[in-house]
Amino acid sequence: MTDASVFGATKPAPVETEALTLMLGDRVLLDRATLRVERGQVLAVTGGAGSGKTALLGALAGRLPAGIDMAGTARVDGHLLIAQGGRLAPRRPLALQVAEVVGHHLGLDLRSSLRRMADGLDRMGVPAAARRFDLPPEQLPESLRWACLFAMAVAVGPVVLLADAPAAGLDPTVRLRLLHRLADWARADGVALVLAGRPEDGLAGPADRVLALRRARLLPPNPARTEPLEPLEPPGAARLHARGVGMSYPLAPGPGGTARSLPVLHGIDLDLRTGETLALLGETGSAKATLARSLLCLPPPTAGAVVWMGRDLTATATPPAAGDARGDDSDRGGVRRARRDLQPLFPDPAASFDPAMTIGTQFSLVLESLRPDIAADRRDHRIDEALEEAGLRPEAALRWPSALSVAEAAHAGLARAILSEPRVLVADEPASSLSAEERETFLDTLMGVRDRRRLSLVLATERYDEGLRDAHRGVVMLAGRVVESADAGTLRTAPLHPYSRAMLAAAHGERPALEGDAPSAFAQPAGCPLRRRCPLAREFCAQAVPTLEEVAPGHHVACHYWDTPADG
Amino acid sequence: MAEYDQPPLSHPVPPETPRAGFARGLSGAAILAALALACAAAPLMADGSAVHRLDADPVAAALLDGRGSLSFALLAAVLGGLLGIGWALLAGILGTLAGNRAERRTIAAAQRMAGWPLALLVPLAGGLMGPVWLLALVTALTAAPAVAALAHAELSSLMRAEFLTAARAAGLPEGEVVRRHLIPNLTRPLLAAGVLALPRVLAAESFASLLGLGLPPALGSWGASVGLAARLGDPVAFVPSALLLALALWAACAIADGIAAGHRKP
Repeated sequence: MTDASVFGATKPAPVETEALTLMLGDRVLLDRATLRVERGQVLAVTGGAGSGKTALLGALAGRLPAGIDMAGTARVDGHLLIAQGGRLAPRRPLALQVAEVVGHHLGLDLRSSLRRMADGLDRMGVPAAARRFDLPPEQLPESLRWACLFAMAVAVGPVVLLADAPAAGLDPTVRLRLLHRLADWARADGVALVLAGRPEDGLAGPADRVLALRRARLLPPNPARTEPLEPLEPPGAARLHARGVGMSYPLAPGPGGTARSLPVLHGIDLDLRTGETLALLGETGSAKATLARSLLCLPPPTAGAVVWMGRDLTATATPPAAGDARGDDSDRGGVRRARRDLQPLFPDPAASFDPAMTIGTQFSLVLESLRPDIAADRRDHRIDEALEEAGLRPEAALRWPSALSVAEAAHAGLARAILSEPRVLVADEPASSLSAEERETFLDTLMGVRDRRRLSLVLATERYDEGLRDAHRGVVMLAGRVVESADAGTLRTAPLHPYSRAMLAAAHGERPALEGDAPSAFAQPAGCPLRRRCPLAREFCAQAVPTLEEVAPGHHVACHYWDTPADG
Repeated sequence: MAEYDQPPLSHPVPPETPRAGFARGLSGAAILAALALACAAAPLMADGSAVHRLDADPVAAALLDGRGSLSFALLAAVLGGLLGIGWALLAGILGTLAGNRAERRTIAAAQRMAGWPLALLVPLAGGLMGPVWLLALVTALTAAPAVAALAHAELSSLMRAEFLTAARAAGLPEGEVVRRHLIPNLTRPLLAAGVLALPRVLAAESFASLLGLGLPPALGSWGASVGLAARLGDPVAFVPSALLLALALWAACAIADGIAAGHRKP
């Protein structure tokens, strides 16, 4: 019997379960869980994909998903369920949906419902200008859509609020800000709040109590690994250099046929040393993925140069003009040699495999192209070795990409990357499609491979703490610029830029000190791109884009007021 | 026995579940093949030697008419599919050689034309032009823009596929990327787009023949017999032709849907 928690049993709690068991066919999702959530208490239930979180909330809400059988008892007082993905009708004006939900629960008319909704939006920190009740949800930004859902729950004022994967998919700083506001409301109004989501979604931060759904039981969560698996070795000499790397995407011509482009990456300078792990940190729109791809020249950057072992890759990787005889060269400018040394890991590993070939055939092609020195009859052996090193069985080579699970595809992607025995891995959110244990297993495997082969690693991720955990150095990016760069220890303990501090706070589950959303790449504010969200912003921030300045040896910050207190 | 553990990382290959649309496409292909065979064998069902549709029983007459409709639809669909796919490939090549603007303009024309009631051109051509091959060409042209728009959408989506980037990261030259990865993955979506022409040309030809401006009477057509039966008020002659036409249209649409669903990710 899982006795999750027993609070004072004098007064019935709004959420109580007794030996609650959930079965999916012959698989036990939840085994005899006893649970009690008091008024004003926030409980977070975490678990990986398919662990049964949605089924648990469905059981509590009295709406079991199809195919789930339930035993035991669950008593939940006047509840409201925010379903996974926040199900609002995408094309129906928000006002009508609010009136429908609030009116259904409280019997109010449209005007009163909208007034209560406006109060709810105030509590979610949504500025008045952003309240467009006449818009359909599909025209609202994702964060505002979630704020509206939470505000609708506030307007209804249930005794128990059940939220399945709340604010999932939002940037960590935005998600944590909303979740903290929701938890504040629950505590202030005495609502029992149950949040369910993946462990990496940061639900534990605003919660009073956290339970992990693991092996069909509700248990206290395992503490996440905070230190590297092996002590990091000091890096060697710098081999990969990026100088003034920039990327612009062409836009449709403007009036008068003037050429237009959208710059997304602005003059990045970077050095990567042998055996060094560099974390590229940033949220949506920070251009960390663009920088990662620019380092691989996939595609080559539109400005600046990427130099690998003294060879300018930008010039050699640019496709030759039509009719250029160099295009027939088997290794034009040594670019194939550089590809052998620099290998990528993709954010969607399943999509990075050709669906029309087996894994083994694709691996053979890689070897044929990058390692012609390996004889054809030795390729299978090499492929088996790479698969085993990446944590897969050699039989995986016989499978088609569509037959791989997400985790297997991620490991197969790692195996392909190490096939050519590269010196640098450039990983762009390589575990973003994985969750919980699968994620940890993959990252552990990746770090194991790195340590064994003494690889340099560029790891682009939005997970601040996780990215820095195994890194020597970190670079924090915002709107295509580096805003802070320092050794990993400094960034994990004492970052100076307000954006880095907010990311660190979000990674620890604390309330980030940033308001609002990141601006669109098409509507960047003049001056500092963070100034509309930043607690340190002053008038001067609109005048000039801050440049990187060295505030301590090896520690660079791009902020006009990094040393000024927020209230100064 | 209850199972607590998650499956291991490398578990045995699970049996593949049939993809949505596969059964429908297969049924469509079977029905169309059966119709084609029945139409081909229709002269045997009429009373032996000379075939006179008006004297034959209604089902045999409808099957005899199907010979004209189906063969014309097949010819026009092949032409329309080839024209549409060629249009999409031309847009892609122009995009590579002359820039995105040329590609956008080429395919924007197809997208605009796909929304026009081009089927009206078929009776117009039937009324004004004599030869069947010319009518087939015009019918093919009415289906080509829709095929081009769909084929180009598939081509664009494939050109952005991550596995092509992975192939470039493996050092494959562009020619090899196209030969080994792009072409094998492009065949099925292009075929799906091309098959889309079949129900369109069949419907357009039947519409024109219904008005009496389609295929010549000697060839026979379901549309023409439906129109004639409606004018004569003869339900016995009307029902078989109308049913067979509806069945052939459904089967052609089902095949197109089945192929289109087959190459999408589950």
